[in-house]
Amino acid sequence: MREVAIIGIGQSTFGKFPQRTATDLGREAVMAAIRDAGIKPSDIQVAYTARLYDCWVTGQCILSDVGIHGIEMINVENACAGGATAFRGVWKEIADGRYDIGIAIGVESMTTSPIAGKLISPTKEDLEGQLGLNMPAALAMVAQRQMEQFGTTIEDFAMVSVKNHHHGCLNPYAQYKKEFTVEKVLSAFMVCDPITLLMCCPATDGAAAAILCSSKTAKRFTTQPVRVIGSALLAGSYKYMVEDITVSPLGRATAAQAYEMAGLGPENIDVVELHDAFAPEEIVRYEDLGLCKIGEGTRLLREKATWVGGKIPVNPSGGLLALGHPLSASGVRNICEIVLHLRGQAGERQTSNARVGLAHMLGGVVAGLEAGACGIHILAR
Amino acid sequence: MPNRVPVKEGTFLETPEGGVLLANKCKSCGQVFFPKAVFCLTCLNEGMEEIQLSHRGTLYTYTIVRMPSMHFGPPYAIGYVTMPEGIKVFAPLIMSDDKPFKIGMDMELVIDKLWQENENEIIGYRFKPL
Repeated sequence: MREVAIIGIGQSTFGKFPQRTATDLGREAVMAAIRDAGIKPSDIQVAYTARLYDCWVTGQCILSDVGIHGIEMINVENACAGGATAFRGVWKEIADGRYDIGIAIGVESMTTSPIAGKLISPTKEDLEGQLGLNMPAALAMVAQRQMEQFGTTIEDFAMVSVKNHHHGCLNPYAQYKKEFTVEKVLSAFMVCDPITLLMCCPATDGAAAAILCSSKTAKRFTTQPVRVIGSALLAGSYKYMVEDITVSPLGRATAAQAYEMAGLGPENIDVVELHDAFAPEEIVRYEDLGLCKIGEGTRLLREKATWVGGKIPVNPSGGLLALGHPLSASGVRNICEIVLHLRGQAGERQTSNARVGLAHMLGGVVAGLEAGACGIHILAR
Repeated sequence: MPNRVPVKEGTFLETPEGGVLLANKCKSCGQVFFPKAVFCLTCLNEGMEEIQLSHRGTLYTYTIVRMPSMHFGPPYAIGYVTMPEGIKVFAPLIMSDDKPFKIGMDMELVIDKLWQENENEIIGYRFKPL
């Protein structure tokens, strides 16, 4: 297996743009990544594009507009882990020696999607969905157990939102650049007890792209390659096997695989981007990723360890809560954020002397499964 | 008389003594499934026996949802109930002012109309605080 490096990253503006198409957003991200890499469009040999809600062959629609044609193009869907899946697809192609340079694209136009302004509706076979389960409710039930088992408070959940919105203020690309207080988060509309509206990620349109290359070839293009040292992607196991819903077997198994491949552990990670679609989730993910022991996520948050400037900054981009969450784009976008930190280009939110970073994504509801997919990538300079 | 249609066939039974949930159990490893599994998803054994779950369980977790779902208007409650048979059952919950939800409280099964779908009354299960 060959070592693979990231040589270019790009992101579109994130926000609500009902007048723009997914193709248009994707093109903005791809052009930015090509410029960042300093390559020609014709250097790209393979492309993976993730999207949930768009026409067929979205990748071809985007790339044909920027002078990329006649190469292998694959379109994937893996719910919110779609972007991580596209990235892993390109990584595998290059690591296996099939191609030298490829592009991973994640794109979503939520405001023009069939679920615009709605919750994701359950399928006919999804009995729990028919009986009223939805994403915020599922996380709200985890939050109730966190409060019962670990003494986590609703103020702690609000603090996750306060932190990530503060981080969003440091990121020019964030959808929301606004500071909130705990009181403000708690006075927002209660969606599912104890989750308020300001603890939920917004609907976002946006795209991100990353250009990968074999480490050997990368030297031709950059003096600052970021190496992909760990990659793991797993589907969830049966929900009935989950004994304690505050502990995610899927998250822990995926993290274990990624750490094993990277040959390091959570103690070596300097900066993390993770799936914070709903604020209580962030605390569970600290524990999934081994940033602390099970049950100690709340303490980590209260110690301010996960703020920019803390011991292990989490979601310095603003996360899904403030930066926004165009579903399939987020898995590529949060890899781009880690790259910025490893290059020392993250501006006001820069993690000092970051050497190793981790990007985590999770998504998909399947009746009977813990979750659809979890993708984790570990990057190093 | 409206048609009474179960939300999912084979998930519950209405008896003169009240409703029961129908699960199945692997004859080899003993794993219990609700709703029933075609074969055991743990050990892949095909020998399964139908069992009736207890009428009562304890509240594992819950939430009150304050936005509409496909079939329920806000607010509505849902949760997981731990059954003596060792599994957690997801179900809509009945709210009552004098018995606010508390994790660990005793819950009792109720078979009742969940929602109306054209001419059909959709019948299913809920739990209420005891």
